[in-house]
Amino acid sequence: MADLFSNLALGFGVALTPINLLLCLVGALVGTLVGVLPGIGTIATVAMLLPITFGLPPVGALIMLAGIYYGAQYGGSTTSILVNIPGEAGSVVTALDGFQMAKQGRAGPALAIAAIGSFFAGCVATVLIAVLGAPLTKLALAFGPAEYFSLMVLGLIFAVVLAKGSVLKAIAMIVFGLLLSMVGSDIETGASRMAFNIPELADGLGFATVAMGLFGFAEIIRNLDTGSESDRELVQQKVTGLMPTAKDLKDSAPAILRGTVLGSILGILPGGGAVIASFAAYTLEKKISRHPERFGRGAIEGVAAPESANNAAAQTSFIPLLTLGIPPNAVMALMVGAMTIHGIVPGPQVMQKQPELVWGMIASMWIGNLMLLVINLPLVGIWVRLLRVPYRLMFPCIVIFCAIGIYSVNNAPVDVVLAGAFGLIGYWLIKHDFEPAPLLLGMVLGPLMEENLRRALLISRGDWSVFLTRPLSAVLIAIAAFLLVLAILPSLRKKRDEVFVESEN
Amino acid sequence: MSDTPSHAPVKSIMPKWVRGPQDFVGGIALIAIALFALWASSDLQGMRGFSFGAGTAPRMFAFLLLGLGIAVTVVGLVTEGAHLAKYHWRGPLFVSLSIISFAVAIRPLGLVVSAFAAFLIAAMGTAETRWKETIIVGACLTLGCSLLFPYALGLPLQLFPRFMIQ
Repeated sequence: MADLFSNLALGFGVALTPINLLLCLVGALVGTLVGVLPGIGTIATVAMLLPITFGLPPVGALIMLAGIYYGAQYGGSTTSILVNIPGEAGSVVTALDGFQMAKQGRAGPALAIAAIGSFFAGCVATVLIAVLGAPLTKLALAFGPAEYFSLMVLGLIFAVVLAKGSVLKAIAMIVFGLLLSMVGSDIETGASRMAFNIPELADGLGFATVAMGLFGFAEIIRNLDTGSESDRELVQQKVTGLMPTAKDLKDSAPAILRGTVLGSILGILPGGGAVIASFAAYTLEKKISRHPERFGRGAIEGVAAPESANNAAAQTSFIPLLTLGIPPNAVMALMVGAMTIHGIVPGPQVMQKQPELVWGMIASMWIGNLMLLVINLPLVGIWVRLLRVPYRLMFPCIVIFCAIGIYSVNNAPVDVVLAGAFGLIGYWLIKHDFEPAPLLLGMVLGPLMEENLRRALLISRGDWSVFLTRPLSAVLIAIAAFLLVLAILPSLRKKRDEVFVESEN
Repeated sequence: MSDTPSHAPVKSIMPKWVRGPQDFVGGIALIAIALFALWASSDLQGMRGFSFGAGTAPRMFAFLLLGLGIAVTVVGLVTEGAHLAKYHWRGPLFVSLSIISFAVAIRPLGLVVSAFAAFLIAAMGTAETRWKETIIVGACLTLGCSLLFPYALGLPLQLFPRFMIQ
C-alpha cells in the first residue's frame, strides 16, 4: 500500500512539471481536434499524430500520446452525438441515443454526461492501473518464453473472439500481420528476409507506415466512395444548456457505475478494448432497464454507460501493455511502436528500471481526463464549427498531413509510397469485409512471438510439448483453445452477433 | 469500419457455383499472398537441429496463412455470402497519385512545392471540388505545415527547392 502511494507520488511529481502538463494539454486538445473530424477513428488519429511526438523526450512523448488517445476518444463521441457519424466502432452505440438526444435539443446534456461519465471511469481506471501494476509485474517476471508465447496466443484469440464479424477471417488477418512483421532482418542471424534488396525494408516495415496506410489513407479512399456530403446530418440548432438536469444525473449515475465496472474488466482482457466494452455496456443497460423501449429514442443511460465503459476500457488496456509488454489492441500496438522509436521496450523491466516513465504516464492519464472535462465542454462550439468543414476540403488536408508525417519518421520517400500501397490494400480489405485492426496487432506481436517461440524451443531442446507441460503455459493455452471452440460454436456465435446487431437496430 | 456490401442482385462476373463471391475472392488473394511469401522466403535457412533458422518462422506463418486462405475460399464456395462490393476508381487513383507525387517531389523540390502540388492532385479525387476554395485551403495548409513541422516540431525538413537554396 505504501508502495502504491509512493509510486503515485512519483508519478504526479513527473506529470505535474509545467512542460509535461503542457504536453498533456496539447495532446488532449489536438487529439480531440482530429478525433472530432468525422470518419477518422481513434487508431487513425493516433497514427496521424505519432510523428509530432518524435522530437520530444520519451516521458513527454508518451504523456502526449496518451493525451492524444483520450482526446481522440472523446472527440469521437462528440462527433457521434452531433453528426451521427461515429468516428470508430466504439462510438457506434453512443450515436444511437446521443444523436436522438441532440435532435431533441438536448445535445448539451448528452455531451456533458459523456464527459462526466468518461471522467469518472478514467479516475477509477487510473487507480486500478496503479493497484494492479506492481503485482502483475511480479507475475510477469515469473514468465518464461513458453509462457509468454502462450499468453500472446491467448491475447490474439481474445482479440478474435471479441471482435465483430467472421472468426476465420479475423484469424487470417492476424496471420497476415504476423507474416508482414517477418519482413526485414532476422534478429538472431541478421539475414535479410523478404526485403528484396530494398534498403528501406532492411529494418522491416515501419509500424507507423502500415498503420497510417491501413487506417488513414484507406479510410479516406473509402469515404470518397460514398459521396461525402450526402449523409451528413448535422444538428443545426445551437448547442445550448450544457448542464444536465438533476434527473439526468440521477438516471445516469448507476449507468456510469455499471459501465465503468464492465469497461474496466473488458479492458484488461487482451484483445478486449473499448469496442466490445461499449457494446456490452449498452446491451446491459437495455436488458436491466425498466423501460427498454426508451433506448434508441434518446435515453441518457444509453449515452452514459457506453461512454464510461469505453473510457474505462481504453485506460485499463494499458495494464497488459505496461506490465507484460503485450499490447491488447491496435491502439496499444501503436503505443508499442512509439515506445520502440524512443528505444523503450515495454514490459516488466520498464516498470522497474524506469519507474518515472511508467508512473508519470499513469498520473498524466488522470490529469488528461480532468483536462478533457474542463476544456472540452466550453469548447463544444468550436468542435461543432469544425464539423461543418466540408469533406471535399478536409480529405486532401488529411492526405498531405499524413504524407508529411510518414516522411518525417525516417526522411524516407519510400515509406510514403509504402503507406500509399497499404492504403490501397486497406481499401481492398474493407471491400472484402476483412478487419484491419487484427492485422496491426499481429504485426506488432510477430517479432515477440517468434523470439519467444525460438527461445522456448531452444530451452526445451526442440520439444514442442513444452507449451503443455509447463503448468502456467498449459492453462493459458487451454483457455485460448476453449475460447476458440466457444467462438466457433453456433449458439455462442449467435449470442455474440446479437450484442452487435441489437445495438445497431 | 466495414462497408456493408449490397445483397441486391448485381451483375456478377462470378460463375454460379460460387455462392459467396466476396469471401471466395478474398480467400484466393490470401492464398496468393501466402504463396508469394513462401517463394520470397525460400532462399532462407530452415531449422538447424532444434534451433530456428531465419526462414523457419516466415515459412510457418506463410503455411498458416495458406491454410486459412483455403478455408476462407471454401467458405465462400459453400455458404451463401455477400457479393463483391462496388469499387470506385476516382478516389483511389487520385489519392495514390497525390501520395506518389509527394514522395517523388519532397527530396528535390522541398516541402512547400510538393505539399501544395500533392494537395491539388488529391483534391481531384472527388467531383465535388471547387477550385477556388481548394487553392485557398491548400495554400493555408502548406503554410501551416511549413511552420509546424520544421519550426514547431524541429524536424529536419527542407522547405524550398534545392536549386533555389544553392
